[in-house]
Amino acid sequence: MKKPAWLLMSLMLVLSMFLAACSGGGKTNTTESPKDGTKGTEKEEVKNEGPVQGGDLVIGSTGAPTMFNSLFSNDASSSDIEDMIFSSLMGSDLEFNPVTEGGLAETFEASEDGKEFTIKIVENAKFHDGEPLDADDVVFTYNIPLSPDYDGVRKSYFENIEKVEKIDQYTVKFTLKQVDVQFPVVSLGFGILPEHILKDVPIAEMGEHEFNTKNPIGSGPFKFSEWKDGEYVKVVANDDYFDGRPYLDSVTYKLVPDANAILAQLQAGDIDYYPGIAQPDVPTVEGFADAAGLRLESGLALSYTYLAFNQRDDKFKDKKVRQAITHAIDRKAIVENVMAGLGEVAHVPESPLSWAYNPDVPKFEYDVEKAKKMLEEAGWKPGADGILEKDGKKFSVEVKTNQGNKVREDIVVILQQQLKEVGIEIKPQIVEFSSLIADIDPGVWNFEAIVLGWSLGVDPDPSGIFHTKEIEKGLNFTGYSNPEIDVLMDEQLKELDKNKRKEMIGKIQALLAEDQPYTFLYYPKEFRALPKNLEGYEFHPKDQMYNIEKWWLKPE
Amino acid sequence: MVSYIFRRTLMAIPLLLGITILSFAIIKAAPGGPVAMLMDPKMKASDKEKFEEKYGLNDPIPVQYFKWLGNMAKGDFGESLIKRGTPVSELILNRLPNTLLLMTVSFLLTVLIAIPIGIYSAMRPYSPLDYTFTVGSFLGVATPSFWFGLILIMFFSVTLGWFPTGGVATLNAPFSLWDRIHHLILPAFVLATADLAALTRYTRSSMLDVLKQDYIRTAMSKGFKEKKVVIKHGIRNGMIPIITLFGLMLPSFIGGAAITEKVFSWPGLGQLFIDSAFQRDYPVIMALTVISAVFVVIGNLLADILYAIFDPRIEY
Repeated sequence: MKKPAWLLMSLMLVLSMFLAACSGGGKTNTTESPKDGTKGTEKEEVKNEGPVQGGDLVIGSTGAPTMFNSLFSNDASSSDIEDMIFSSLMGSDLEFNPVTEGGLAETFEASEDGKEFTIKIVENAKFHDGEPLDADDVVFTYNIPLSPDYDGVRKSYFENIEKVEKIDQYTVKFTLKQVDVQFPVVSLGFGILPEHILKDVPIAEMGEHEFNTKNPIGSGPFKFSEWKDGEYVKVVANDDYFDGRPYLDSVTYKLVPDANAILAQLQAGDIDYYPGIAQPDVPTVEGFADAAGLRLESGLALSYTYLAFNQRDDKFKDKKVRQAITHAIDRKAIVENVMAGLGEVAHVPESPLSWAYNPDVPKFEYDVEKAKKMLEEAGWKPGADGILEKDGKKFSVEVKTNQGNKVREDIVVILQQQLKEVGIEIKPQIVEFSSLIADIDPGVWNFEAIVLGWSLGVDPDPSGIFHTKEIEKGLNFTGYSNPEIDVLMDEQLKELDKNKRKEMIGKIQALLAEDQPYTFLYYPKEFRALPKNLEGYEFHPKDQMYNIEKWWLKPE
Repeated sequence: MVSYIFRRTLMAIPLLLGITILSFAIIKAAPGGPVAMLMDPKMKASDKEKFEEKYGLNDPIPVQYFKWLGNMAKGDFGESLIKRGTPVSELILNRLPNTLLLMTVSFLLTVLIAIPIGIYSAMRPYSPLDYTFTVGSFLGVATPSFWFGLILIMFFSVTLGWFPTGGVATLNAPFSLWDRIHHLILPAFVLATADLAALTRYTRSSMLDVLKQDYIRTAMSKGFKEKKVVIKHGIRNGMIPIITLFGLMLPSFIGGAAITEKVFSWPGLGQLFIDSAFQRDYPVIMALTVISAVFVVIGNLLADILYAIFDPRIEY
């Protein structure tokens, strides 16, 4: 998922990623097994260790794509395929910085005031139908979401654009209404559409046009070949790709609706690459990986899981109480026992993978005595039954989480035990996923505390979730508000100097850690299975298809 | 008879309307919506409203219902909200052949296996083989199909490598009849297993009833061979209630295979229904609901008609 596309899907992702506790861990060995004679014949004469062309890579997916036009689609599967068919101006590297490499941009220049970007695009890019791609196509593409007729889901990514101009045949200039440091990484990653095919389509009808589903034409490393509904999407190598033909002959994106069936297909060799292995399945996959000619790659996922408090509730208004709750939760034990160590304890709402991660924030380690003291200072006294009371009200909290996620269900039970130690009564409530999401919808806010996960964007801006202006209609469903942080969040978005911005975001993280609007629980690890002989693969936490044009299969 | 069929068909109309009203209300009452599936942290409320307005999702539910009903009457199922621009009828027609194939094969498999077993069991009740079939059929009913399917995949596909792990055909291979059949065997078997048990039990008890009848005993006492009596008189009468059962099994053509289709990555209507339900793709859900409701009505009608034809005692 190169593009940030997160609320529901991200929650789904986190939801599907770890369903139960499991034992074992670590990486499978990556050495070639000499006795694996099932795949192909040995080729003695292969001396040249460089990449070779050929092969079909079968990628497994439980989600089906909806259409191939990144201005209108918004799901991970569509995005995976769009990334192969279309090329965008900019790419992002392993640290999530915007880079010209892998994109159509040859050079990328920002003006002093950060409001203008001049991009020179490569001159040899062609669409799959042979037509050249130039500045006109870029201007055309970016004007679609700027049109009042546009009815896709991506408008906000482009709202800050004042205009897009063609300077000469291969140069375009973006002018922003105001400084937005997220712009290059977030908004320049959209696939460029062919003007010569779509120019006569009214923008109001573009979302339904058959280009999106029947005949998408882009300029990416792979050409669309076939989409069999419910079965697979196939793309084949684009010989004329401006960055050189990809090594793989074709990629088949196989749709398998059941996660268990995917495991069986991996084991039987019907699927070569599957990036979404659930944590409880890791030992299983490790068990058959060698025999099936697979290896596992893992890394921290770009997400975190948390316990959030509804701060409209009197119990959670005092930050001391929230801090005390964090002190009373043994997060290390949760990671070790519930997740079999496949994760790290979290302290801030940002992944340690990000360049803006600040490790130096106030931490609330497991300390029951301290928690008790803090709660007492906040006016909570133990009642007759040992449960804390204040003004005649008991400290009893209903904690919701979604059904079907074993790790979260276990966590809620553990919270019940651990918080009992300090005199807080927890009533676990396991709710069906979509009703849970409906409970945190703006205006509904029907919860006291909730265990959920957020998938993070490539840009470290936390304001979407913690800014006061996001309470009314946005994702700040806990109703958290801190004017000091609001100011900092607004300012960092205008800060062009990356080091300064990092400092500002670090400060925001420290303040958020101090305020504990959430108890940040953990960062999970993510597991992907791929062919043993797949070379050129790099683990990109956000993009499972990162640089797929550089992947190649080593002959065995 | 003709007027009976006519009356029954007329009665089906309010029934179908009732079904559509109920399903419409239930689907709309479920939390979430297609926009939630399209949601993005950066999506503004105004974007959502625009989408909802375009597809009439914020009209009052009765208005939405009558609009939908009007289009339905014209034979227009509308377009998918999730796979924008794709007519619902196209989505359904793409999946229909796969479902029909799977259901027909598993149905034939069920009939061919269950009826002989049922008859045998009735002829030799409480014999060791009857007990074996009884236990077997209870196991068949009790085994969840997703589990059974996975076990078969693990054993026959992964361990032994005899069958493909899923799908309707081998990826990137030219069409071959054997390949299609090869892919069909396991899912059809799993589907058949559940129905098999029920049909075996029905056949057995129906045949048992028949075999107790006086005319069978009379025939036997006249010295006819048991086999001949059973085939000539028993089966014909014993099958009457079974035939009606076929009519009632018809509706499961749409939704009955959903789980099996999921496990075997079989791109049929059941799978489409589940996916659409999760994505709150209202037009697809409604279209499939209507189709399966029509099947239920037709199935029941068919059952009654078949009964009338095969059982001369029934009069209308």
